[in-house]
Amino acid sequence: MKIVAPISRVGEVAPLARAGVDELYCGIVPSEWTARFQSASVNRRAFGNLSSYEDLRQVVGIAAEFGRTVSLVMNAQHYTEAQIDSLVDLAYRFAEMGGRALIVGDLGLLSVLAERGPAIRLHASSLLGCRNAGHSLLLKDLGAQRVIFPRDITLSEMAGVAAASAQLEYEAFILNDGCVFEEGSCHSIHLPSRLGGPICLDRYVSEYSRADGRPLALAEQNKLAANDHAYQEWLWYRFSCGFSVSPEGFPFGPCGLCAIPQLAAAGIGAVKIAGREGALERKIKSVELVRAALDHHSMAGGTSQYSDFVRALRGGEASCAPGYMCYYRETGAGKACARG
Amino acid sequence: MAELALSLVEARFLEALLTAGPPTVARCGEVLNWSHRPFPSEWAERSIDRVHFGSEFCETLLPGEWQVRQAVAAAMSCGIGLSLVTAPASDAGLERLSALLQLLPAGSEVIANDWGVLRLLADFRPAVIPVAGRVLCKMVKDPRLPSAEWAKLYPHGIHSRPFVALLRRLGVGRIEMDVPPFAQPADFHGLGPAISVHSPFGFSVRGRSCRAGSLNLPLEQKFMVGPACHRECLVYIDHMSRRQGGSESDLPTFQRGHTIFYRHSPEMNAALATAVAQGRVDRLVLSGDWNEDCRSHQSSR
Repeated sequence: MKIVAPISRVGEVAPLARAGVDELYCGIVPSEWTARFQSASVNRRAFGNLSSYEDLRQVVGIAAEFGRTVSLVMNAQHYTEAQIDSLVDLAYRFAEMGGRALIVGDLGLLSVLAERGPAIRLHASSLLGCRNAGHSLLLKDLGAQRVIFPRDITLSEMAGVAAASAQLEYEAFILNDGCVFEEGSCHSIHLPSRLGGPICLDRYVSEYSRADGRPLALAEQNKLAANDHAYQEWLWYRFSCGFSVSPEGFPFGPCGLCAIPQLAAAGIGAVKIAGREGALERKIKSVELVRAALDHHSMAGGTSQYSDFVRALRGGEASCAPGYMCYYRETGAGKACARG
Repeated sequence: MAELALSLVEARFLEALLTAGPPTVARCGEVLNWSHRPFPSEWAERSIDRVHFGSEFCETLLPGEWQVRQAVAAAMSCGIGLSLVTAPASDAGLERLSALLQLLPAGSEVIANDWGVLRLLADFRPAVIPVAGRVLCKMVKDPRLPSAEWAKLYPHGIHSRPFVALLRRLGVGRIEMDVPPFAQPADFHGLGPAISVHSPFGFSVRGRSCRAGSLNLPLEQKFMVGPACHRECLVYIDHMSRRQGGSESDLPTFQRGHTIFYRHSPEMNAALATAVAQGRVDRLVLSGDWNEDCRSHQSSR
């Protein structure tokens, strides 16, 4: 199983390669794109991108020296026709540099790249929200070689899709950055914090009513309030536990390490570490964490010894006892409980 | 003149609305207790032409077989069209949907909000008419945008040739759109498929971890993908307001289940009215029972 991790600067390639990454992914916002389209909308992230072709060339070159590959993200929610044409040009440049794959978030772009793009692998982004075999087969028809599953999917759903279309490769989230809503169905903008930030974390106040028009009973109000309290707790875990880390520097937050045996059994060939905009130290520790888990799994398999080992990596069972940190909670890795 | 469709998630309203012929918009508002004015208001006495039945957002709300039979019978007896609405789906959901498709008369529409559903329809059900739902037609729809400049940063590609070609490949001749904040009539200008537009609410984000659906679950199962909910989204509406940091341009916002919606501003309604008058939009989908519904229900007590 390959580890896929993000970089945002040339200097991050070598440390992550040494930490044990197999594949790197990055984004770029070329200056001519900004000049032409007046935005940084080349991909999903406004920040955490390379800014020049020379940087991209260096990233690919250094990765190759370590025997690693680089994928380029083209994973905005949607593109105009003019933007798609520009992205095809970018794809050719990247392929000429020795880039390995494009991570594509728009079906129109995917089909165009397959038809008139360079000879380069196409990976269907998690933003495409593939959760059934029919969808994965369509992605294959359109030219994808790999499907990156969205975050909110169960292990059995992934296994079913992977079994139905074994010709495709599959990648699943393993660490960091949990979207609250499905990323592929999120049509909001991560506004600057003074304007509210991401909509999922904005300070909305809820007032409930009943659709049948009846007033809320006191017991209902209390139940809704308790549910909202639990939701706030869940949000904290989902949002990387306030970007806290273990004493060893391993990041807390969304995690699927306990599910590696099931992912492997399902035929998932790669696991994705999110957090392109994060600090280098966080990226290194993330790769080290996943590498340790994978190495142990290759020796111990899916035994209880594996689970104990993985939980111990971040300080023992108590550190991940709140199940709200798990990407794949059906593993039963943690028990939900209130923070603190 | 644009066709008028009424969207219904709950089967119980089929009987209430469709037993005495096609209801008028005003009658729909009365039965469904709309607090919002139907759009456009001068169409209050127009009859609806079609019913959209099912959920766009959650496969848990996929109707059962008897409900689909009921919808087919009700639409046929009224002489109006029927569109079965479907949500993003797992393979289990697709299997349930496949069984429902057998119940639809030829010529019925299926509104797909999942590419796998569109592929299923293209491969196995050529007798139904596939429609690309608004979940597939992506555009920036953040109800908090402070100005039109923000919306311009991320223009949508719904009318781009690659997207239209993809739809054509899947046999799709109609798409559904929302009215985005700061909409212009040009947002609906396409040379490809026919365009339906939802009114008066758009959706901004949808998820799979459901806050409402977790209400009656134990802590260890809350907000988890998988556990069966009790369809609390049909009972509770969360009216959301930004008391800190909100701006005057915020659109009225509410959440049902795991989906956040916004209500159109008068300016957005005007842009849609212009697009309808120009013939760019040929169907309006009125939000039936899935709305903010903040008026008390004297009639249903």
